[in-house]
Amino acid sequence: MRALPPALLLAPALVVLAVLFGGGLVLTLAGSLGGWAPALAQARLPGAVLFSLWIAGASTALALALGCAAALLIRAGGRGTGLARALCQLVLTVPHAVGAVGLLYLVSQSGLLARGAAALGLIGGPADFPALTQDPLGLGIILHYTWKEAPFVALFALAALQGRGPGLEEAARSLGASPLRSFWHVTLPLLRPALLRAGAIAFAFAFGAWEVPQLLGGSRLLALPLLVWQRFTAADLAARPEALALAALTALISAGVAALLLRAAR
Amino acid sequence: MRHAAFATIAAVLAAPAGADTADGAALLAQDWEAVVDQARGGEVNFYLWGGAETSNGYVDWIGERLAADYDITLNRVPLTDTTEAVNIVLAEQQAGQDESGAVDLVWINGENFRTLRQGDLLWCGYTEALPNGAYVDWEAPAIANDFGVPIEGCEVPWSRVQFAFAHDSARTPQPPRSIPALIDWVEANPGRFTYPAPPDFTGEAFVRHVFYHAAGGPEALMGPFDQEVFDEVAPKAWEILNAMEPDLWREGATYPTSITQLQGMVANSEVDLYFTYDPAEVGAAAANGTFPETMRSYGLTGGTLANTNYVAVPYNSPHKAAALVTLNMLLSPEAQLEKAQPQVWGAAPAIEVERLEPAMQEAFAETPRPAQVVAPEDQGPQLPELQPAWIEAIAEGWIDNVGTR
Repeated sequence: MRALPPALLLAPALVVLAVLFGGGLVLTLAGSLGGWAPALAQARLPGAVLFSLWIAGASTALALALGCAAALLIRAGGRGTGLARALCQLVLTVPHAVGAVGLLYLVSQSGLLARGAAALGLIGGPADFPALTQDPLGLGIILHYTWKEAPFVALFALAALQGRGPGLEEAARSLGASPLRSFWHVTLPLLRPALLRAGAIAFAFAFGAWEVPQLLGGSRLLALPLLVWQRFTAADLAARPEALALAALTALISAGVAALLLRAAR
Repeated sequence: MRHAAFATIAAVLAAPAGADTADGAALLAQDWEAVVDQARGGEVNFYLWGGAETSNGYVDWIGERLAADYDITLNRVPLTDTTEAVNIVLAEQQAGQDESGAVDLVWINGENFRTLRQGDLLWCGYTEALPNGAYVDWEAPAIANDFGVPIEGCEVPWSRVQFAFAHDSARTPQPPRSIPALIDWVEANPGRFTYPAPPDFTGEAFVRHVFYHAAGGPEALMGPFDQEVFDEVAPKAWEILNAMEPDLWREGATYPTSITQLQGMVANSEVDLYFTYDPAEVGAAAANGTFPETMRSYGLTGGTLANTNYVAVPYNSPHKAAALVTLNMLLSPEAQLEKAQPQVWGAAPAIEVERLEPAMQEAFAETPRPAQVVAPEDQGPQLPELQPAWIEAIAEGWIDNVGTR
């Protein structure tokens, strides 16, 4: 079979992207006309933007640190590395909503740890367990995204490390660099583009996704996607353009941050 | 695998063309037998709030009956908020899908009904075609008006409910039995009460009880929205709720975001009081082990909110014949009796029991009531619901003045 030109091979994917993604974007922008003024005047907007930046930023930073460490440990070889790699792949297949509900069963004040600690007499009652879900800082949300994204970062970093071998680092060590120095000046720069790219994807997801803050967040500070959802499902039809403008704003902010990270990765 | 795929495609292609009954006017021009004939072998997509096992199980039972009696497939589509169904119909209208909507039936009342009516998005005028409609007292104010909006033949009543509170009689023997008593109780029992943050449906209803208390009763709030009255009452209500906040669960730093979450917290002894727009739910939750046997629901001396809930058909439903047959079954004495059984749902009937045959009347009279469910006669006065504009103003006012203050 003769090779088809790349443009033709890409065409099906591009059509889907243009129609579904582009079409959705156009419909959102068209529907948001007249909604921008009430959206920008929405009293809960600044809090929602800051809260979403906080949960997405903190969870991405933690996932990058943990994922990078995991990748280096797996590459170093030794017992259990195959299992660790399989676990990373397994976590990727767990849907976010399932992971968040699992976390709720585990660490909420109605959860397994709270009941266990109360049953063992470590705390007076389940309600004395520290508030990790529905908490003002979004710790439960950050915990969830860190747990989900760290293996993703690890696999991304492993792919970048593959084929390079430990040669450069060994050279640095043989020339007298401490392990920390070798990591900081050799390994990390090698990994930097891969980490920034993985970070851009992790950040954009955590910033724009709705189900995890819905399940693990509190009522006072809403993540931006939840504010969009509340306005979109308000019984008052006049709130819909505002909801679409807020949705467009969400996309704009996460695309902006992702663009900055991808630019730095070049 | 491939055979199965082909079989599915073949089945879809072989479906009778008559199954498409999007034209409601043509359908209503025929007699009931003809409607049933066209409904046979078809399907109906029933969108409804899916947060309670009782209502879900009951609708699945209806689905089995429809399959057995009419060969109709009922697809139950669960929603976390009925507004999602409203949005689907609205989006379809905007996209010009006037005869191929996804929603055939929707469980609805209040502001969502108002919104669909406003957008002219409901099919109307079929209620007289339903044989079992004869059991409904269409003239009764509580049925003819849905949260103050006339139903005008655009929806069919399904159940009647009255809001109730609930407590564990073993843990909290003396619960507060009025809103002023509740306010004092919260102060005396810090951390043991909270309510779901609006826009949760039940949380909004709780806030309305406090609003009625601040207004000195519902009378001043009846009728169309009145900004002057609102501005006079609202600050008092927000003051009460804000003063309560430091004594709430987690000192009011956050509220539960759904009634389901509050149910879990009461079950886990994190807080002591529960409330629901459907007291039968407390009996069902005790039966399935969520709540202890000693849980009891109760009314307030000053009364609690009451309403009727309905089922409606969107204008663009492609299965209107099957929707009519389903509605007729929902109104049948057998289905309403099944729904009234405590182990099924325990929901009060929307039909007039005295219009039924004596044997049926007796069956309704003999319906057992679990100890957890308050007797209707002990529930206190029924307070009328407000018109949607009031409800929205109160919910948004809470978010701005209490929830995000």
